[in-house]
Amino acid sequence: MTVPVDAMMDPAKRTRRDGRGETARRNRAWMVLLFGGAFLLPAAAARADDPENCLICHQYRGLSRFDEASGRAHVFFVDPQYALAHRGPHGRLACTACHIREEVEVVPHHAVTPVDCTRQCHLPSTTGIERRFSHDNVMEMLARSAHKPEELSKLTFSRGPLLADNQSICLYCHDEPLFRDPALAIPKFTELADRVYDRCDVCHAEKVATDIEYYVRHIASRFQPARTPLELAQVCAVCHSDPKVMAERELPNSVASFVRSFHGKAALLGDFSTADCLNCHVTAGENAHLMLAPDDPKSSVHVANVAESCRSLVCHPGADPKIAETAVHLDLPTAQGTIEYALAAIFIVLTILTFGPSCMLVLLDLLQVIVGREVHGEERLHALVKRIMEDPRGKHQLVRFSVNHRVQHWVLSALFILLVLTGFPMKFADDWWAAPLVRMFGGLGWARVIHHWSGILLVLGFFGHLVDVFFGFVSRARELGGPHGRADYVKAWVSLPMWISPTDIKKSIQLILYLMFLRKEKPAFGRFSPAEKFEYLGVFWGTMLLGITGLLLWGEQISSHFLSGRAFNLATIAHTYEAFLAVIHVGILHIYNVIFAPKVFPLSTATMNGYTPIAKLVEEHGEMIDEVARDLGIRDEGEPYHE
Amino acid sequence: MSSEAQRKIFRRIWAVVRLAGRFLRNAVPRIYATAIMFVIVWLTFLAVRYLVTSLAIASGPPPQIVALPTRLDRAALREGRSAFAALDAAEHPRSPLAHYHRLGGWVQPDTFNDCTRSGCHNPLPHAKRKEVRAFLNMHATSIHCGVCHMEGDRVPRPLVWYGLDAGKPGDPPSLLQAYAMLTAPDAASMWKRDGDAAQKKLVHLLNSAARESGDVPALARLAEHFEAYRVGSKAFDQMLTDGPAALARHFRGEYGAKLALRDERTGRPLLGHPNTGPAVAEWFARKDTAVGEEATKLLEAVHPMRRASALTCTDCHRTQGSLIDFPKLGYPEARIRSLIDPVVFSMIEHINAGRPFNLPAVLGGAPLPPPDVEKKAP
Repeated sequence: MTVPVDAMMDPAKRTRRDGRGETARRNRAWMVLLFGGAFLLPAAAARADDPENCLICHQYRGLSRFDEASGRAHVFFVDPQYALAHRGPHGRLACTACHIREEVEVVPHHAVTPVDCTRQCHLPSTTGIERRFSHDNVMEMLARSAHKPEELSKLTFSRGPLLADNQSICLYCHDEPLFRDPALAIPKFTELADRVYDRCDVCHAEKVATDIEYYVRHIASRFQPARTPLELAQVCAVCHSDPKVMAERELPNSVASFVRSFHGKAALLGDFSTADCLNCHVTAGENAHLMLAPDDPKSSVHVANVAESCRSLVCHPGADPKIAETAVHLDLPTAQGTIEYALAAIFIVLTILTFGPSCMLVLLDLLQVIVGREVHGEERLHALVKRIMEDPRGKHQLVRFSVNHRVQHWVLSALFILLVLTGFPMKFADDWWAAPLVRMFGGLGWARVIHHWSGILLVLGFFGHLVDVFFGFVSRARELGGPHGRADYVKAWVSLPMWISPTDIKKSIQLILYLMFLRKEKPAFGRFSPAEKFEYLGVFWGTMLLGITGLLLWGEQISSHFLSGRAFNLATIAHTYEAFLAVIHVGILHIYNVIFAPKVFPLSTATMNGYTPIAKLVEEHGEMIDEVARDLGIRDEGEPYHE
Repeated sequence: MSSEAQRKIFRRIWAVVRLAGRFLRNAVPRIYATAIMFVIVWLTFLAVRYLVTSLAIASGPPPQIVALPTRLDRAALREGRSAFAALDAAEHPRSPLAHYHRLGGWVQPDTFNDCTRSGCHNPLPHAKRKEVRAFLNMHATSIHCGVCHMEGDRVPRPLVWYGLDAGKPGDPPSLLQAYAMLTAPDAASMWKRDGDAAQKKLVHLLNSAARESGDVPALARLAEHFEAYRVGSKAFDQMLTDGPAALARHFRGEYGAKLALRDERTGRPLLGHPNTGPAVAEWFARKDTAVGEEATKLLEAVHPMRRASALTCTDCHRTQGSLIDFPKLGYPEARIRSLIDPVVFSMIEHINAGRPFNLPAVLGGAPLPPPDVEKKAP
């Protein structure tokens, strides 16, 4: 099969028909001239790509000038591909369909009157007879909407006038319309390629000459919104983010709050399928130009209608009407006095209170290195560790993390990284790195799938860990129960390795005093230090909270039946702030402890083989070393260890 | 020097080395710990700042939403497309408000043109005569100011291509080279003779052309298609037939290169009036106060090579005696024909003479007659 070249100028332009496009056009012109009769002539002319030959000059990007007085450039460039490849609905129009012929038929042109979009133009039709066309009905619609033409004409912006004098108010929202890729709405297009048109060509190539491709692309592009959600937000932001417009009309900062919502963030990350402004603010089946103010009883976002708007077939069809109670335009800084604001404040305070002391410990630890402070008793412990290692059973006793725990740790690490990489772009959707990161996962759709299933695996792993802990706990309780066969659950509970005992609290205080140079000797810890126990508690609590809130948000249609819509706002706040705490704790402190701390750099071997590097072991786990030595009957030949 | 003295010196050196070693052994961990401490403090500061601002400070929409250009102003002229559009995340970046037609891109900024980078002239410098100002600015995308505005007697003018990326002399633009390959009179025998090597070269040229033209997707796709077919196949032959017409659509002066006068001594492009730095500085220092003859003198010092009157269109767009040696500059025959097409320069004559020029229509427009007299080269 041959692939003519001019068809490749546009991805959606198919090939074979275009390959003979020149010939077909020529033939069509001759047929029109010879047989068509006078009434067909305008149609043929209108079908020509550039009947008035304007592109001979206007195809040049540099055809422009700069007006020093106004500080503006006047660019007369018209993308030739728009007309030649029919890239949009206006691609078949002659320039004089919009511009006044008398003004532009002479070079240099006379002063050109701004285009009136309600002007009547002439369109070619399948019959070959021109049809009169105008956008004047749009003006009628606008007159009945919240965006009344007279109101739009009066707009004044903080950046000065956005349009030149007498320019059409349509330009506030519209520029040259483009067909979107038909394959976005109809994926079969990609697969079928030329075959879509080959079948039509049987009749339409010669016998019933119609530009099938144009019509297919035109209609296919109407199967999807004309603009992506992001582009639509940009359109709305022209007015709804302008301080002057908002102040004069007492409008809320709707676009700013939209892009902080789930839908808005998805839009920022390039998702085409998320809800945009029109999805909510235009009643289903109505025209975008008929958008009504929220207090209009007919508005789709009026309090009486908003639930049905949320539950439309393409959005949340299975949800309870309560889902509409969700604050879609929630902007926390402006939501003071609400429960959402209070919850966020609580999380922020908790984050600072939990992260702060841990961070302080790390910084004080580094300070010890900087001032060159030596830990008393290190030589004795080093010697003891050496003797333990020489014992055939000793090395095994110094393993702090069993294979089971190491596997759990690595699974947790992998899932945590995946969850962060796929979740944080949503939290910081407007940062430069967010969209490229999401694209690395194949787009937001895939990123969400990965996020959800990583979360599910994490929750399953968490339950697995609970089962592991439970059986360990029961077994320990039986051991401690003595010969009567009664399990001692209380003793077993407080002897759980991660149980934070009063001694841990006491030693933590001693450690702080030591690090602040208020105590001479560093306290020694057992197998797990209090910091590790607190860290474990954080993971335990965080996984539960993130899992529960994540499931609520993922299954919003189900959870809306037993929760208020506000619960989604609360769940979102809890989910994101808890995730942030987890990330800063792991990303700053845990990474320091296991990678960058001078005693373990470049990586703590504990995560690989269960052995903590000896320097770190001696510094922090002196009690454990003594305990292992006692168990093995190894005599401590040095000075007794001072607690 | 006695051996004792030598030993003494050696001992001293050794002591210094040991001291340095001890110092390093002590200092390296401390420097490392200090660096890590700063990193942790900095990250903590960022985290806490985010937490506080997320609740305490109301902010507007992010740049992705509001960086929509509202006007084509001076800054937009000097910047590339991405800075200008600021909408890379959009599927179809919007034109600036008040501008209906899609721009898609912008004229390639020439950061090596001394006339504009000095701050004296803007990149669209022609503004006086309504009849021709836009046409002349159109040429500014592919021709340096000096080609028309600097003096010189040689016919044709000594010209050289220079790249907009480095301002250095280079080969003719890839687009012209690719077009030359496709339209050469001996193209058929070349494809037969060189086959795969020629295909490789063409694909490379087309990819380069796509890049030089500002990442034009159509050219990149064309390269992909030329690469996909086997030389000698029916499909490839069809590509060779249709290729010139497809390429010709991209002759819009977006080559990633411009023509400039060649400095005969160095062979480099003349990108401004030579040795005028002090004169330019003086002009800027005194331009607000200088009037009349003083201003004229200052400007003369800034423009020592300026022509009394600029070249006109038909000095170059003519069949004989053109000031531009098109073949020598790598223009293929087919492209040259369109540049010296009588329709083009008769149109120019009409406009230059201040006569109304009616656009030729496809179905009814007869070609305009050639100009009355063939203009002689200056």
